[in-house]
Amino acid sequence: MKLQESSFRSGLRSGTTLALILMFLVLIGFNASGAALLARLFGQTTLSGQLPPAIFGIVFIALLAVGQGISSALASRRRNAARPWVSSFAAAGLAGLALAVFILVMGSLYQNGADFRKTLYALSPAYIKFLTVDQMPIVGAAISLAVMLLAGGLAGLAAIYLPFGTYWQRVKTMFVRFWNLDGSRSLRANRYFKFGLYAVLVLMCFFVPRVWGSYWNYVFGLVGIYVLLGLGLNIIVGLSGQLVLGYVAFFAIGAYSVALLNAPIPHNLMWGFWAAVVIGILLAALSGFLIGLPLMRLRGDYLAIVTMGFGEIIRVLLKSDLLTSFTGGPRGVQDIRGPSLFGQSFSSDIDFMYLIILAVALALFIASRLQNSRVGRSWIAIREDETVAQASGVNTTRYKLLALALGAAFAGLGGVLFAARNQFTGPEDHVLMVSINVLSLVIVGGMGSVPGVVLGAFALKGLPEILRELANYRLLAFGALLVIMMIARPQGLWPVGRPSLQRKEAPDSPTENDKPNQEAPNG
Amino acid sequence: MMLEITDLKVSYGAIQALRGIDLTLNEGEIVALIGGNGAGKSTTLQTISGLLKPVSGSIRFLGDEIIGVAPQEIVARGIIHVPEGRRIFSSLTVEENLEMGAYLQRDKIAKQRTLEEAYVRFPRLKERRKQAGGTLSGGEQQMLAIARAIMAQPKLLLLDEPSMGLSPVLVEQIFDIIESINDQGTSILLVEQNAQMALSIANRGYVLETGGIVLSGEAESLLHDPMVIEAYLGG
Ligand SMILES: Nc1ncnc2c1ncn2[C@@H]1O[C@H](COP(=O)(O)OP(=O)(O)O)[C@@H](O)[C@H]1O
Ligand SMILES: [Mg+2]
Repeated sequence: MKLQESSFRSGLRSGTTLALILMFLVLIGFNASGAALLARLFGQTTLSGQLPPAIFGIVFIALLAVGQGISSALASRRRNAARPWVSSFAAAGLAGLALAVFILVMGSLYQNGADFRKTLYALSPAYIKFLTVDQMPIVGAAISLAVMLLAGGLAGLAAIYLPFGTYWQRVKTMFVRFWNLDGSRSLRANRYFKFGLYAVLVLMCFFVPRVWGSYWNYVFGLVGIYVLLGLGLNIIVGLSGQLVLGYVAFFAIGAYSVALLNAPIPHNLMWGFWAAVVIGILLAALSGFLIGLPLMRLRGDYLAIVTMGFGEIIRVLLKSDLLTSFTGGPRGVQDIRGPSLFGQSFSSDIDFMYLIILAVALALFIASRLQNSRVGRSWIAIREDETVAQASGVNTTRYKLLALALGAAFAGLGGVLFAARNQFTGPEDHVLMVSINVLSLVIVGGMGSVPGVVLGAFALKGLPEILRELANYRLLAFGALLVIMMIARPQGLWPVGRPSLQRKEAPDSPTENDKPNQEAPNG
Repeated sequence: MMLEITDLKVSYGAIQALRGIDLTLNEGEIVALIGGNGAGKSTTLQTISGLLKPVSGSIRFLGDEIIGVAPQEIVARGIIHVPEGRRIFSSLTVEENLEMGAYLQRDKIAKQRTLEEAYVRFPRLKERRKQAGGTLSGGEQQMLAIARAIMAQPKLLLLDEPSMGLSPVLVEQIFDIIESINDQGTSILLVEQNAQMALSIANRGYVLETGGIVLSGEAESLLHDPMVIEAYLGG
């Protein structure tokens, strides 16, 4: 039998990658987490510390193989290799073989009394039984190999011979048209469609917090607050290009505004939540502006370091004995009151979810409006080349300060919501890690991109919470996912819809009346 | 007189980059400022456009002192600076780059008209209008940088080494463009290390060495000056 050379080889090549990833996932026990997730889809909850039924593990690796099979078959077809499906079998087979060998070795060693838990915590006896599908090692290995080979190969065959390609193409075209990515009249521009979509969204935002319970309100409330923070930092870092690492300071100012103004101890001012919102936002914006003034001459690394120092100073001050009578000191401020409306307390988890949704919607509106305005263009120009921006007439000082003040205001609002929702805040809520998290979510989402911030917040704050139920290794698995994600999408999850490098237009096509999808030159 | 610089001194900390230079430029002229690396040419331009603050001296533009005036205000008065090294906004499209050039022009119709004019002069850029600036070739980027400056409809254009790193054919093209911009009434202060090319299109020239003007005069006579030939024309 003479296999088509290049399909087979390329299959082996991509199979090696999958094999390595698979080994890694197995070593940290992630396939058990994945299987547990699948089991949950079928209504079977896996308690923490326990393993889901082995069948779900098999389904999990089959899914990996399916993905691999499809992608390598399509890749081979793109290169016009003969019999592209061969590469699916090769890839999935190789990965399956690696897994089988691994299971065989581990299983046999284990049967002979070896114990790996000293070095690799995940490899418990139960986990090895899980890997061997409760069979003899040789049988378990064979099952894994067969499942992966068949699943990957058949998926590749299907991807080539069933007209999925056309469907996928159609979905893609719809997506592109919807988001107006190609400049055509988009579905999104259709008024009725737009209203329909918004109506559904609003209804969902209204009902979902009522039905899914306080745990999910907690998780998604946190995601929402990080969306706020991300949108603010995105203005500062993503748009105006100022690398600020002490962003948490503004968050702290918001949080302590509500803490000091609306809690019985230490001041018992009780000005009410709404006053605290306004004051928190204003104070944060003001401090963004003030800290910006002396920093205007600093660029890049220096700016990052100095602002990082600012964040730490605020935290240390909050913690210091000196200010204990004013800020509550290291123990923080308890019993922060939430909002009330018309004399009614309005502070249940559902109410807070609504409030956060409202704040996020407002922030999204403001952020995307700003981005496509003259202000946004000025920020981008500063980010790209400050000197040239200045030489083009941009008042760089003014716009950089504006970015800092606005970005800080978003963080101030986030801080107020955060502290009021937890009914508590203390110095440990405002550590450097918050700044780093927010910066990471901006980067992961795609610098300068508003939808990217939303996706980034889900990925960085939502996903770990969802994984929390599942495994001890969530942070490790999560880190691995992040690494994979950054390799697969170096521009971020949802990069800014900038002109692509390939899209060259025919010289004669554009004319004056053909100006699609261009932001207005003026704001 | 359009531009009149007297006894201009500029320092970077302890380093004195300009040791008191005098330079004038009349309306409609191309004046070449030539000199080797580190002579202080870029420093001169940056000081004129307000990016650097001088230690002392005076810069008068159309009769008004402009030292201490903010850069954006200097732009508004009609001086546009094209910094050295083809600096463009690389993630903005060609058209967005051009629009940034007309940043202070708030009249959309006028802006559109200047854009069309720029495209007439730079047809290459029109072909590439939707492409990210960073994807252009070196020569195209230099064209874009100059076209962006023209978008502001400057009275005085400060060009910093526009020929740097370009092939002879492209250098030729760029200098043709500079001449045609000048023909339409824009005065130009042209900084170059390529003395031959610069002096061949300039009316007058200055030679700058280690922060001081060592020679000045009609471009024609500088081209035949033994010292210039010796030092800059590979004579
Ligand atoms: N940012 C700076 N900091 C310190 N010294 C500088 C800086 N920029 C330029 N210089 C010094 O000033 C002098 C003039 O530089 P420059 O104007 O760039 O020269 P040119 O453009 O003629 O090559 C040089 O000695 C250079 O080293
Ligand atoms: Mg220079």
